[in-house]
Amino acid sequence: MEKAMDVEMEREEEEEEETESVSDVLRDRFRLSTVSIAEAEAKRNGMEISEPIVACISDLAFKYAAEQLAKDLELFAQHASRKIVKMEDVILSAHRNEHLATSLRSLCDDLKAKEPQSERKRKKTPRKENKATTSVVHIPDN
Amino acid sequence: MEDENNTFDPDLIHAIFKLVWTRRALERERNDVADALDCEVGAGTSKKNRQTSANGKAIKLSCELLRIFITEAVQRAATISEAEGASKIEATHLERILPQLLLDF
Repeated sequence: MEKAMDVEMEREEEEEEETESVSDVLRDRFRLSTVSIAEAEAKRNGMEISEPIVACISDLAFKYAAEQLAKDLELFAQHASRKIVKMEDVILSAHRNEHLATSLRSLCDDLKAKEPQSERKRKKTPRKENKATTSVVHIPDN
Repeated sequence: MEDENNTFDPDLIHAIFKLVWTRRALERERNDVADALDCEVGAGTSKKNRQTSANGKAIKLSCELLRIFITEAVQRAATISEAEGASKIEATHLERILPQLLLDF
């Protein structure tokens, strides 16, 4: 019995270590993106930004994303008895800041507006194919 | 072109979210196992605990939210350092804007 427990414990520890290294990789990738965003933004403001500050901002943003945003989104989706996080959940997570919520909502509308267009495109292509086939049919008529 | 450089990769953000959600799902499962041992009822709980996932557009929107977080931090710090006549954003500038930034997000 004890051995089984030990094996179980070890497995759990290994799993935790694994997720830790995965999160380290994600954190590094996140930091790379942050560096490019932050430096571009500083340049736009005519400022230089020192590297430790960017790293600090990146860690803040990562913690915000992983510890707050992810949990909030999951809870909001669960509250709506869904298993899938939707755009409204993201907007809801920014409800404390009206400006942020409005700008996210407008972006959400943009994304929604893009969607039917791509569907139309998808519908258009088979029509073209139909035309092609009809023209092929027409040629022997001529 | 500029947009591509200056947003987060949706796959990256999705991976981060997934990691958190899997971890939380595992935790919940463990708690359920403990509960089941206590009261010996617990069949069919695995379905209830299926992991959360996300819509592609929701991920894109989260990327934008995080991007705004970064740009906002840099912009506010830049304003402070400009007011102080510095040409480089330093730790003290970030310190000044940090409390309000964290309240705003």
